[in-house]
Amino acid sequence: MSRLKDIYEYRLMIRSLVKRDLRGKYKGSVLGFMWTFVNPLLQLLVYNMVFSIIMKAGVEKFYLYLFVGLIPWLFFSAAITGGSTCIIAQKDLIKKIRFPREIIPISFVTSQFVNMLLSFIVVIIVSVVSGVRLTIGGILCLPVIMIVEYLMALGIALISSSLTVYFRDLEHILAIVAMAWLYATPICYPVEMVPEKYLSIYNLNPVTPIVNAYRDVLYWGRTPDLRTLILAVCIGIVTVILGIIIFGKLQRRFAEEL
Amino acid sequence: MADNIAIKVSNLTKRFKVYYDKGRSLKEVILFRNRNKHEVRTVLDDVSFDIKKGEAVGLIGHNGCGKSTLLKLISGILYPDGGSVDIEGRVSSLLELGAGFHPDMSGRENIYINASIFGLTKEEIESRLQTIIDFSELAGFIDNPVRTYSSGMYMRLAFSVAINVDADVLLIDEILAVGDANFQAKCFSKLQEIKEKGTTIVIVSHSLSQIENICDRSIWINEGKIRADGTPLAVHSEYLDFMNEQRQAAGGKALDIPPEYVAYMQERRYKENLKLSMIPEQQAAVEANGGQYRWGSGEVKITSITASGPDGVGKRLFEVGSDVYFKVHYHVEKPIKDAVFGIGFFRNSGENLYGTNTRIDGHPKFDITEDGEFTIIMRKIPLMPDQYTVSFSIEYGDGVPVDYWKDALKIDTYRQTPDVGGFFMEHNWDYEAKKEENDG
Repeated sequence: MSRLKDIYEYRLMIRSLVKRDLRGKYKGSVLGFMWTFVNPLLQLLVYNMVFSIIMKAGVEKFYLYLFVGLIPWLFFSAAITGGSTCIIAQKDLIKKIRFPREIIPISFVTSQFVNMLLSFIVVIIVSVVSGVRLTIGGILCLPVIMIVEYLMALGIALISSSLTVYFRDLEHILAIVAMAWLYATPICYPVEMVPEKYLSIYNLNPVTPIVNAYRDVLYWGRTPDLRTLILAVCIGIVTVILGIIIFGKLQRRFAEEL
Repeated sequence: MADNIAIKVSNLTKRFKVYYDKGRSLKEVILFRNRNKHEVRTVLDDVSFDIKKGEAVGLIGHNGCGKSTLLKLISGILYPDGGSVDIEGRVSSLLELGAGFHPDMSGRENIYINASIFGLTKEEIESRLQTIIDFSELAGFIDNPVRTYSSGMYMRLAFSVAINVDADVLLIDEILAVGDANFQAKCFSKLQEIKEKGTTIVIVSHSLSQIENICDRSIWINEGKIRADGTPLAVHSEYLDFMNEQRQAAGGKALDIPPEYVAYMQERRYKENLKLSMIPEQQAAVEANGGQYRWGSGEVKITSITASGPDGVGKRLFEVGSDVYFKVHYHVEKPIKDAVFGIGFFRNSGENLYGTNTRIDGHPKFDITEDGEFTIIMRKIPLMPDQYTVSFSIEYGDGVPVDYWKDALKIDTYRQTPDVGGFFMEHNWDYEAKKEENDG
């Protein structure tokens, strides 16, 4: 509990680091902050060309189907891969200054999250332009889904960033895991394409209910299934608690291991 | 924990694993299992001590003795393997300057980032923003990106943030060597100010004289244990003797002498000489004053001294034969009657070169009732190139010192021509000899 209080006292540090990260990211590039919007659009273009021209998935408005799932995924995958190295990247800070070290993964994930929120402006515009009729229930659920995803990403980043300090291979292993995870989640294809006998294993993927919920709101134009949503909330909370406990134990030797 | 204790270190033990050849990746761990042999080294071994509130403590010892580890344990960067550290109040550690600075962001934005890393809230930063900017002397550049700063400016900004955190406990590791001499002096007096406010300070430094100037107490760590704990002068003498023995035992070679140490010894020799140059009563006053070369009854205090040429611009370097103006400001705590102003010049070897005061010079008696200043112009100073110590005093007519400041100021002199000696003596040559005709 005292750790949480400590983190709260350092809230300005989280804000400063997020701001520094967001502002510093595109410094010096011509488009600057516009890249936050251009980048997801270009990614969408590439995926759309591959999946609706070459590998047809047989889904109506596939570009939107893909886009709605892809943006949350990009955030999640950045939190896994980038999150694993965020402690190592800030080793000078950790070796020389005392602060609650949770701040580092929290601000990393938060800055990715803010990035996703900005991309969602594009997603919502594309969705409305494509003729999806958003329901009020759906729109109200959207922040909940986002927070759940944030909590899951944060929990994973807390665990992976602290483990990577002791075991550097994790960085590379997680890059592969993230790639595999993408294909184990119904992002580039509909769930219906998964053979029935594998479905029970397939549904264990905690990201699937999140992606489905996003799609319910922004692709199908309906209120997400409340049961899956509650399940996702539980998973999110458990991941974060687990992350905080593991991180709290492992951070004690950070300064000497880095 | 007792009320007056700021830091309580109890049975603190820290061990480090020292790997002979550490493999960190999976392949290395599996293939070269034998290589992962390590040795456990005890860096701190059952160390206990208390630091009182408002105390300034220096940690000394040779490299690798564990003093920096101790500081990191106190600050909470490292966690102990045994024992505990209890701290009362907010801690600020000045172990790293400019943490989190982003080169593309302005000085002002970086103040926010840097200060937030020290745990300050937005309101706290805003309330001291102006103080920080003023202290850094970067007002004109504060909205420029820090990548455009010189390294000196960068460090000045970083130090200004760190020193203005207003902690109850301040931990410092070798960072007083920031910027030019002027800024260093400013940092130093800021530290004194912080100390006077009652902040507890712990300093790790190689510079023993720095510790002597700020700290009331020195703790000497040797091989993970406290070897000595006491007044800086006493502990440092013991430490220097020990280092000397070690050096002799190693044939005078194995341990190299850090430049700080040489400077320290010079400073010490200078002070010894200064002491020799004084009459016994003055020596006793120095001892009574904890080794400070300033004493007196204190009704009036000298607050600042400027040395300058006729233009009044403060400087320290003067040409031999030029006029030197000393302007001395003083502050009156209690008015005094029949006051005397005095000045004295000393060589660094302690030799008294010249001294006089207003009584000797036959000035009428005067009283000091309110803050003011006096100026003394030394005409055509004859002191040949060297460094000189100038002392100033305010005394009672009967010679009782009110504020006697033995090493108040240092000046240097230079000369264009290569004549030699201790003093310039005005002279004229007169001889009759045939001039060589070069132009014929």
